[in-house]
This record gives sequence, C-alpha cells and structure tokens, in this order.
Amino acid sequence: MRQHTFGQRKEALLFILPLALFLGVFVLTPVAGTIIGGMFRDTTFLKKEFIFLDNYRTLFADAAFRQSFRFTLLFVAVSVPLELALGTVFALLVNQPPVRFRTALRVSVLIPWAIPAAISGRIWELIYNYNFGLANYLLSALGIRSEPVNWLGNDMSAFFSLVAADAWKTTPFMAIILLAGLQAIPTELYQQAEIDGAGFLKRFIRVTLPILKPVMVVALVFRTIDAIRIFDIVYVITHGGPGGSTSSLSLYAYKYFLAGDFGYGSAVSFILFLTALGLSLIYINLGAFRKEFRKELP
Amino acid sequence: MSEDRMRMILFLSGSSAMLLFCLTPFLYMVIISLSGNPDFLSTKVSFEPNLDNYILILTNSTLHFPDYMLNSLIVSGMSALICVLTASLAAYAITRLPVPGKVFILLFVLAVSMFPQISLVGYLFKLMTNLGWINTYRALTLPYVAWILPLSLWILVSYFSQIPGELDKAALIDGCSRWQILIKVIFPVAAPGIFSTLLLAFIFAFNEFLFALMLTTDHGARTIPVGIASFQGLHGELPWGTIMAASTTATIPLLILTMVFQRRIIQGLTRGAVKG
Repeated sequence: MRQHTFGQRKEALLFILPLALFLGVFVLTPVAGTIIGGMFRDTTFLKKEFIFLDNYRTLFADAAFRQSFRFTLLFVAVSVPLELALGTVFALLVNQPPVRFRTALRVSVLIPWAIPAAISGRIWELIYNYNFGLANYLLSALGIRSEPVNWLGNDMSAFFSLVAADAWKTTPFMAIILLAGLQAIPTELYQQAEIDGAGFLKRFIRVTLPILKPVMVVALVFRTIDAIRIFDIVYVITHGGPGGSTSSLSLYAYKYFLAGDFGYGSAVSFILFLTALGLSLIYINLGAFRKEFRKELP
Repeated sequence: MSEDRMRMILFLSGSSAMLLFCLTPFLYMVIISLSGNPDFLSTKVSFEPNLDNYILILTNSTLHFPDYMLNSLIVSGMSALICVLTASLAAYAITRLPVPGKVFILLFVLAVSMFPQISLVGYLFKLMTNLGWINTYRALTLPYVAWILPLSLWILVSYFSQIPGELDKAALIDGCSRWQILIKVIFPVAAPGIFSTLLLAFIFAFNEFLFALMLTTDHGARTIPVGIASFQGLHGELPWGTIMAASTTATIPLLILTMVFQRRIIQGLTRGAVKG
C-alpha cells in the first residue's frame, strides 16, 4: 500500500475544486433554495412570510396539482416502455446491417436526437395541426378517415400525441445505449446458437436478451429520470392543454414561477424533485444497475 | 426460404419503417420551410417552392433570428469549453490521484444529474435577478456548465481510466508536475475522448430550453430553441413557413456535427452510460 502525503491529497482536491464549486453554487444551493423557498409565502404583492408546510397542504388539496402529478406519472409509464421496445428494435437494426447501409442508417437514427426538443415540438405541433397538418392529411390520403381529428383538442389524443412526439425525439438515445450492449455480445455466442439450430426469435430471447438486460436497466433509468421532468415538448405542443390535462409537473411549477409565486412553485418543484430522487434511489439500488457501474469505476 | 433471405427481408422492411419514422418529421420541416403555402397539403393551393422564408428570417430584423442563433452558438460554445476543462481536471484527479471517496463522488455526481431542472430554475432566476445578470450570456453559461458537468465527468472518467498509468509514472520520473502531466501526457492521448465530450456538451447546451426560457428576456441573450418556441405571428396566425425555415436553419449546425462525427457521438454517449 502506497502512502499518500498530505500534499498529494491537497493537490488532488485542487483538481476537483472547480467541479465542486460549479455543482455547489449552481445545483446544490439552488436545490436548497427551492426546499427553503417552498416553506415561504413568496408572491409578488404580499409580504414574504414563513408558513412552513402550508404550501404543501394547499398542494395536496389542489386538484390541478393532482392532475399534473397523474399526467406526469402516466406519461412516464406509457412513453418509457414504448421507447425501450422501439429502441431495442432500432438497435438490432443498426447493429450489424450490411456494411454499405451502416453509416446512412446510424446518421438517420441520430437526426431526431440532434434536433432540439423545442424545435421538434414545433414540428409535431404542425404535424398535429387540425387544418393542414401532416397527421390529418395522411389519415385522409390513406383513406383511413375523412373527417380531420382534433389531435390536441381532447385529453386522450393530446396525451398520445405527446407520447408519439417524445418517442420520436428520444428513441434514438435508447437505441444508441442498447447498441453498445449489443456490440459487447461475442459473435461466437450467436454462432453456437445457430449451430444448435436456434431461429432468429429464439436466439434473441436466449442469447441477446439476457446479456442486454443490465444495459436495458441503465437505459431505463436514464429515460425515466428524463421523462419525469418533461417540459420542452409539453410547453411547445400543448402548453398543458386542453384544460390542464397534459400539464406536466415541471410545466405546472413553471407557470407559478412565471406568475411570480415562488413559494408555491418551489413546493411543486420539490415534490417533483423527491419523486425523481426516490425513483433514482430505487434504480441505483437495483443489482444490475450497480453492477454495471462498478465495472465502470477505475 | 433460406434463413439469410428471411433475415434480409426482415432487415429491409424493418429499416424502411425505422427510416420512415425517423426522417418523415424532419423532411416535413424542410418541405414546409421551402413552401410559400404551408397549407398546400390540404387545400388546392400549389406547393410553390422558394427560399422566401429563409430570406425573411435572415433579413427581417424584427424577428431577431440571427441574434438568437449567435447567442446559441456563443453560449453553447463557452459552456462546452468550460465544462470539459472543469470535468477533465476532476476526471484526472479521480482516475490518477489519491482522492478520498471516489465512488461516492461519482455516484453523487450521477445523482445530481438526475435533479429536475425545474427544482433549480426558480432559485436561479432570483439569483440572476439580484446579480443583475438576467438576459446575459453568463446567466446561461454558468448554470449550463454545472448542468452538463455530470455527463462530461462520467464520459471522461471512462476515457482517462483506460490510459495506462505507466505514462504518468514515466513523466513523474522525468520531473513533470501533475499539471504538466495532464496537459502534456493525458490531453494528447485522450484527445479523441475529450473531443467527443466537447461535442456532446455543445449539443446538450444548444438543446437546453428551460433555463434559457426563464433567464433571458429578449434577443440580447435568448437562445434559438426559446426564440423558435416563442415565435408568434403578427396577426395571431402562426407563420409556419417562417418557423420551419428557422427550425431547419437552427438544426443545420447540429446535423453537420452529427453526420461528420456520428461515430464519436455514439461512442461518447455510450461511454457516459455503459462500457462502450
């Protein structure tokens, strides 16, 4: 065992200092500020006052808050598994395609990922346009339905419109993570399975899936945490409508901040923070996730 | 039918569906941006391809499109540079130096990356207001750096830990200081990894929306995603052709980066998440 001098330790900490400062000042302090801020009445026209948990009491009785909470969880529950399934298919397709297609395929899959979410939100908003959007055009052109659908006009279709837009934007990310998992599978395993006469589906279930599982868990964690704080596309496409049915927790809190109500906005944000933290703690403690990370550490 | 044929058919139909799904919205954006009539699909008006929308966003000074674009490029560029520099220092210490609690630091940073942005932005808004920094580049750059640091650190730790420690030892014996080793030995060897990280940090900063929405007020510092999201027509009707032209133009730098550095991006992203 090598002995480290005090000087070496000090030097090491000096290297970490800038990182610690950035995270301390611009992440940890703001979170602490939000926690404390949530215990104040802090609006534009009233005197700032410590009210401890009153904001949270109001919150749990607030039907619009409960609706936002429900929407957010439902959105995660529907979009993330869908994106995982689609991402797996995409990853399989771009893993070992005929060489001449490879670059073209991978670049095409990356395009939705590279477009800023706010911009893809605008594209999908236009796709869902009642009068001249692509979605209604395709429905009538393919003879599925002659009457246009008011995609963003009712709760159910607005919800699935957001899910589709989100799946478009984020499935590439899923696919890329899963691709890394696929590439770690030794080809001998497939060859062995092939010799044993296993068909395509059987090979996928017996060989690919078990090895891919830990990577799937990691991808699932990242996407879940990302989906629970969804803001950009909701802000652009539905702005929470119709009637607040698609208002995510982030958007709900944002609207309070915008109106100058920092106390209540902070309380809503903190609930979202706790939910995300709870989920990530559960995930981090999942065996597969932890194992995958241990491998990573030097 | 042979297995190979079957696989080929499966692959071709699958990839066609995948390409259709990935590319249609993108191509739709480009097509609408080139049309004088965004409603040409449903009405009897003709497509009329022209560049009017592009000329409008580049020349009309009330739209501020070039301002937004410039703001985005400056803020994202600065954020990426500062972020990767900061993360390189920390990654070097974590992989090479006797830092107490390495595993804890990495897991803690990971947890930080899972914080919802909304739980920071209310406080940041007040902070920047008090400092008088609202609508400045630094009001965006500093939080962006902090925001992208976790991902950058994870990717760089993964790259740095693959560089053999013998390199450091040889340099130490030659009398180099730790700083010199980082700059003269690690940086050149890890250059591809650092470049991938820089690229990803830039793309993430360019995509950011909520901070930019809260911390800017006008074209003085507002970035392009917010600019495009808040685009309003003069008479209530949304000028879709113009919006799509702006969207296409804003996407071009990202597309070029993606096409040229496709392999680096995939490598970087997978390093951040799992062993590549």
